[in-house]
Amino acid sequence: MTPELYLDYDTVIHRLDARTKILIFVFSFIALVVFEHPLWIIPISALTLLQTTLARAWVNVWRIRVMLTILTITSILMWNVFASGETHLFLFFDLESLLYSLTRTMLILLMILCGVNLISTTRNEELVLGMIGLGLPYRVGFTISTALRLVPTIVSSIYTISQAQRSRGLDLESGSILQRMKKYVPLLIPVFISTIRNTNTFGMALESKGFGAKKDRTFYLKLEMRNLDYFILAFGACFSVVSIILDIKGFGDIKGLTRF
Amino acid sequence: MSDHAVNIKDLQFRYRGEKKLALDGITLDVPKGEFLVIMGASEAGKSTLAASLNGLIPHYMRGRIKGDVVVLGRNTMESTIPQLAENVGIVFQDFEAQLFSTNVELEIAFGPENFGVAREEIKQRIDENLKYVGLEEFRNRPPFTLSGGQKQKLAIASVLAMQPKLLVMDEPTTDLDPISKQGIFEITNKLRQSDDITLIVVEHETEEILNADRIVLIQDGKIIKFGPVREILQEVETLEELGVMPLGIPMFFKKVNPSSQLPLTPDEGVEAFKKASLQISEVKFKDMLKEDEAVSRQFSTPIIQCKDLEHTYPNGVRALRGINLEINKGEMIAIIGQNGSGKTTLVKHFNGLLMPTGGDLMVNGKPTSDQGIFKLGQRVGYVFQNPDHQIFSEFVFDEVAFSPRLRNIPEDEVKERVSEALEAVGLVGYEQEDPFSLTKSGRQRVAVASVLTIQPEVLILDEPTTGLDYKEQRSMMDMVKRLNERGSTTIFVTHHMWVVAEYAQKVIVVKDGKILLQGTTRDVFSNEKILEESFLRPPHFVQFANRLGKTFLTPNEMIRCLDMGGR
Repeated sequence: MTPELYLDYDTVIHRLDARTKILIFVFSFIALVVFEHPLWIIPISALTLLQTTLARAWVNVWRIRVMLTILTITSILMWNVFASGETHLFLFFDLESLLYSLTRTMLILLMILCGVNLISTTRNEELVLGMIGLGLPYRVGFTISTALRLVPTIVSSIYTISQAQRSRGLDLESGSILQRMKKYVPLLIPVFISTIRNTNTFGMALESKGFGAKKDRTFYLKLEMRNLDYFILAFGACFSVVSIILDIKGFGDIKGLTRF
Repeated sequence: MSDHAVNIKDLQFRYRGEKKLALDGITLDVPKGEFLVIMGASEAGKSTLAASLNGLIPHYMRGRIKGDVVVLGRNTMESTIPQLAENVGIVFQDFEAQLFSTNVELEIAFGPENFGVAREEIKQRIDENLKYVGLEEFRNRPPFTLSGGQKQKLAIASVLAMQPKLLVMDEPTTDLDPISKQGIFEITNKLRQSDDITLIVVEHETEEILNADRIVLIQDGKIIKFGPVREILQEVETLEELGVMPLGIPMFFKKVNPSSQLPLTPDEGVEAFKKASLQISEVKFKDMLKEDEAVSRQFSTPIIQCKDLEHTYPNGVRALRGINLEINKGEMIAIIGQNGSGKTTLVKHFNGLLMPTGGDLMVNGKPTSDQGIFKLGQRVGYVFQNPDHQIFSEFVFDEVAFSPRLRNIPEDEVKERVSEALEAVGLVGYEQEDPFSLTKSGRQRVAVASVLTIQPEVLILDEPTTGLDYKEQRSMMDMVKRLNERGSTTIFVTHHMWVVAEYAQKVIVVKDGKILLQGTTRDVFSNEKILEESFLRPPHFVQFANRLGKTFLTPNEMIRCLDMGGR
């Protein structure tokens, strides 16, 4: 089992500059967040799905399918509770609130998808470099990338620990919710402790390799903007500017929607 | 400036919150270019000493420090860790946690980058160091896809790329198989040839350090002995007392033919054997083989049977490719093989953690797929390699009682079982202790006890001796042997060949998901050629015996079979 999310392929998306990919992420967010009506976010959805396909990143989407399903169901229900409209359908569902909940759900799923696209195609080190390139200090970039790095480590230790506890007779699948939550204690404590131990060694290794020794650190990796990067960035920028203008002009709203 | 790489003067250190001194008056001078080995029992202060050389002590691990440590002219108290890192590189035991880049190249680049080395120069250093440790073909691979030995080599290369003048390694080979260990020591020997690097290595494996210059033995934070390697390794008894494994060959000669110069290596052993005109009695040797057979015949009821067992992981890796074996009730079996050979995958089938993706596996005459892990877990106990992956309770008692309580055994009986289990592992009186406060070997025992409370018929132990010192390894295996003699069929996976030689009755050698060799320990260890294919080597003493034409597993066995009349 490979715990890493980065996919070591050589696709069009992989070859893009890390800065471009981070900015696409930001632009997509803008284009997604401004509209209320689901029809209006279809274009950006299509572009995001295209990106996932080009990056061959569906494998990673498949890996988080359970989480995505849970999110979809809860999000569709929840936004109907937090919004209402004029055309009543059934229970607490109105036509307007249903449309709105669809948009919000798509927003969440697509944001995750954008994140998956970014992480699947960009090495941790490139991500750091990209963030520095966009003006963040090295330490901030490094901290973010370290947090990302920790995820696969924790996942693989959860895997080992659950095997160990299952061998001792722990059955996580049966019982009421309360009972099940109690059953996670034997899993979580070793996970915490081994993560703390790991990060301790990590910290020592980091300092021992001279982390922060010199202010002007060099980078072995080099980022390079090519024509395609400029083209995509220009397109992304136009796309989000147009989205904002359309939003200001009143397009993409749902009439009769009340948000709480 | 002196021609010393390290000057330590009267160093004392106490970790914050501890009462005992971790280092207690260490004075040590290491000349430039030397290869020094630090040995001693667990908790003797070896790692603390290593960590004080690059400033991790006192800057990272806090505590009260007294005395002076001067490394290459720099006082460690007055310099920061990154400043010291320019001259001192350190490699840790845990090769997982010290690698953090997404590919091999970038891992090596990290150190030089921090010191502002120019890109072109970094590239050159990557090339050089990959070649030095023999990882050129892996330069674009993510580190997590490398084997344990390769990971540790990468860790060394990433430190060497900073061009340190002192390289400290803290138990670099503890988690590695014998040939990977050798690979690491080949690198250290190469480093030793160059005069401008000083090597300080904390190590448990006595056989590997014969090429070092000097050994310093420490106990309770104090230096007990300090001297040339050959001199120290002759002191069999002192080593044993300090929890360091003595070599089998000098041990044997000390008993049969004591002299001022004991042989250390198999070559020297053979020569000394001839010189002393020792003879092995054919009759006595045959008697011993007959005893072997008698022992094997005792066990004839199969409890685990594999037929063409295969396992393919969801990602397509074929970990097992047709395993055929039969394990009988009451046997004590060692499973050996290189890191990644499939041995852990194999044993995880025995308690139902993994199910076959091809072929058959029967435990107690029934396929494991019909029994499931919960049911199988009551018959087959599995002790994982790292006790910290399972300990979670506040008290030793609760930890050990976890399994029987889950299985709804009445509390009275749970109590009884816990006290039996704690007695078996030698932890009586520790019921109300916090398991996390115990030493590694103590936690390992808690893990074993917590499996014993289900009274398993089969006991599986994954590397039960890793990370323990020689004394602890012995007492752990003595305990396992007692459990085996009480009737548990015992299967253990290990990298420690001397443990196999002394404790296993049968050995299964796994290579690339197949069984390369299986049989009695004596038979398997007589096949040095085939073992080598699987990157394994018997201990020095067995190699020495093999060269004499007969496979003896321990010095005592050979002494028993010596022809006394011939002298």
